[in-house]
Amino acid sequence: MKLFLYFSQVIGLDIMDAQGQWIGRLHDIAMNPYADIYPKASDLIIRRGSSSKEYARVNWEDIVYIENNIRLKIMGDRLKFSKEIPRSDFTLRRDIFDQQVVDIDDQRVVRVNDIHLLRVENQLYAAHVDVGLRGIFRRLGWTGMVDLIVFLINSKSPYLTNEELIPWKATQVLPKLGRMKSVLKLEVAKNKLGSIPPAALADIIQGLDIFVRVSMFKSMESALQNKVFTDMTLTCKAELVEQLSEAESANLITNIPADEATDLLMKLPREKAHHLMGLLGSETNKKLRKLLGYAKDSAGGLMTTEYLYLKADATVADAFNKIRENINFPGTIFFFYIVDDDHKYLGTTSLRRFFNENPQTLLIDICYPENIHVYTDDSVEQVALLLERYKSSSIPVLNHQDILQGIITIDDVMEELISLVWHKYKEKL
Amino acid sequence: MSFWEKAKKNKVLKNTLFFLAMLGPGVITGSVDNDAGGITTYSVAAATYGYPILWTLLPSFIVLLVVQEMNMRMGACTGKGLADLIRENFGVKVTFWIFLGLLVADIGNTATEFAGVAGSMNIFGISKYISVPVTAGAVWILVTKGNYKISERIFLMFSVALLSYIVSALAAKPDWHQVGLAFIHPQIQYDKDYLIMVLGIVGTTIAPWMQFYMQSAVIEKGTTMEDYKLALADVVIGCVATVAVAIFIMVACAATLHVNNITINEAKDAALALKPFAGALASAVFAFGLFVASIFSATILPLATAFYICEAFGFNAGIDKRVEEAPQFYTLFAAILIIACVIILIPNAPLIAITLWTQDINAMLLPVVLISMQLMVNNPEIMGEHVNNKFQNAVGWSTTVILITLTLLLMVLPAFDLFKAH
Repeated sequence: MKLFLYFSQVIGLDIMDAQGQWIGRLHDIAMNPYADIYPKASDLIIRRGSSSKEYARVNWEDIVYIENNIRLKIMGDRLKFSKEIPRSDFTLRRDIFDQQVVDIDDQRVVRVNDIHLLRVENQLYAAHVDVGLRGIFRRLGWTGMVDLIVFLINSKSPYLTNEELIPWKATQVLPKLGRMKSVLKLEVAKNKLGSIPPAALADIIQGLDIFVRVSMFKSMESALQNKVFTDMTLTCKAELVEQLSEAESANLITNIPADEATDLLMKLPREKAHHLMGLLGSETNKKLRKLLGYAKDSAGGLMTTEYLYLKADATVADAFNKIRENINFPGTIFFFYIVDDDHKYLGTTSLRRFFNENPQTLLIDICYPENIHVYTDDSVEQVALLLERYKSSSIPVLNHQDILQGIITIDDVMEELISLVWHKYKEKL
Repeated sequence: MSFWEKAKKNKVLKNTLFFLAMLGPGVITGSVDNDAGGITTYSVAAATYGYPILWTLLPSFIVLLVVQEMNMRMGACTGKGLADLIRENFGVKVTFWIFLGLLVADIGNTATEFAGVAGSMNIFGISKYISVPVTAGAVWILVTKGNYKISERIFLMFSVALLSYIVSALAAKPDWHQVGLAFIHPQIQYDKDYLIMVLGIVGTTIAPWMQFYMQSAVIEKGTTMEDYKLALADVVIGCVATVAVAIFIMVACAATLHVNNITINEAKDAALALKPFAGALASAVFAFGLFVASIFSATILPLATAFYICEAFGFNAGIDKRVEEAPQFYTLFAAILIIACVIILIPNAPLIAITLWTQDINAMLLPVVLISMQLMVNNPEIMGEHVNNKFQNAVGWSTTVILITLTLLLMVLPAFDLFKAH
């Protein structure tokens, strides 16, 4: 008895009842995903008839053996056949075979050619999914022929020994029918996406079909959702927002940095954006309205209103407390902006400058000596020049009354400059 | 990941597709549909049978509309390409044979496009041994490294190409009364050659690869069932545009070649034969249209074919990938391009036989694809509440059955011919 079987080798096997009477063929195997580390086979689904097909379910306990055929302990007349396929949460043929899954280790979406089943004392477990070329040839029934040809050409070819198997624990099942807007199946199959870095996960999600994208996104925890959403491209964000409910979208917009939220709102249809603004908390709403008011390529349009600030009497100890409170802050936590009671800008300090200072030292005394800042109507080129000249990674933005309005970080400038340079390059062509 | 999302990352394609996408998937598919093969069939048919054969465009239009509506609905409903759906619902074996057929047929189709390039350039006095390799090289460069301006111009040229048929048709001073009559009172002949010609016209209007292309275009557009009415309008406009261009091509040929009893075998003959009757301008414009339509389809066809095959079998694909990352994709793309060119460049290559073979494979593939589509579009597990209703099914299945009958006839008829000869 072989320890490993392929699903393609068992599917379609003849099924015999206790007396050896033929009762049908194996159509599918329902799995219990909660059983062990590996999903464990729980039911057989039998198919009979050719033009009008009928299906029946058999409990795994009623199997005597699985060899060249499948022998049952029970009599065929005890099975109830019906036209409907018996419902199961999770089955190999419907949910895995030929479908796309996420390979968590390599962080890519792959198509399953076969399923590698582990057999222990007549129990079957889904151990690996096969995504390799050998799997395709096995399905076509050409393994022997292709092996022979490859062997004759190059007896040391890696094709002969390399099985492209992905262990089950590194396989994330995708919701098959996202259109149904149900995330049930994904929950059943355990959500393993948490171990992928959000940026990589955002890449994977952007490569999926829109409906799968939505269901997969909905299945994530909200903290992960926020991270992944932040890392998506603007177009992808907008597409996703179109598909999510308004409450869900508003929640996402509240939790991403304000400048990215502004870009997203500008990308959406005017009416939709307007509607979403109404659903946002008054605090977020105020921030976004302010940003939306500035020209896109001005310092005001580039800046984010998320920054950490402290009053002139704040000490180094206060700064550390502030960092602790804001450890999940979407903006930068390395720079502190010192303002007076009217929010007038006084100076900038950074973690690097106060890290080794006495906790009682006033922050205002260890600010950067140069007072660099821009005004909301300054151009992106000016911002870039200043950041370059002072080798700084962020810069405060003031209005003409010197009231601090926001900050610009270098990544925002890079984004804008790249598109600017690209436009100029295109014009030259 | 869909073909379109990957194509987006290439600048030329991105921009070309962007312009086309503004027109909508239905219009794009319709434009690519009037390729060298289509132009050839239309002009040969009209030169041989004159105005009366115009009626065939009416059933072509209905069939095109029904099939494209189904593709649009499937794309909008599932968000998946046809290649994905076939693989997920019918398994490896069916997928393998469909795509093997698609690969062979598309090599033939691409060869036809290069024949169009060779033929049209020949009219301008350029040998095929120069025009075909240069065009193939240009296609390769266009796909691997391109820029915005070039793709913009290519798109504009393509639009002009479509207009050129109107110019040719008007220059031919057709008898519009007869054109109208052909649609109102269709005169059908019942001999074998006529029937083959009718099949050819319907067949060239709905090639199997188009269904894959159409559905991908719908997904790229992000169409969902909420946009159904708009998307349907786009499909209708696309079908009308396709058939309208076909009408102009046929009118141009019917008004000149048929009236003067000139029969032709190739689209380039049509361009040449137009000269004495409709003037040098009409002739040159017709040839130019043929050239641009050919080069456009010669770019899209190998690329799309390589992409769908890789997608169905789970290989890495996309022009944003390096050759080492997506070896199967680039091998396929290069192979289709090179084989198609070589076929055309072989001196005295049996071009007409190749065209017929390609048509036969297309004809065999079409019923398989259509039946797969009908089965999936009626499966509530895939389509939910948007399965075909009774009317859609009646039209869908009768279209499928009629096309299968016609294509079977197309394959059986030559056998009868042999039988008679003995």
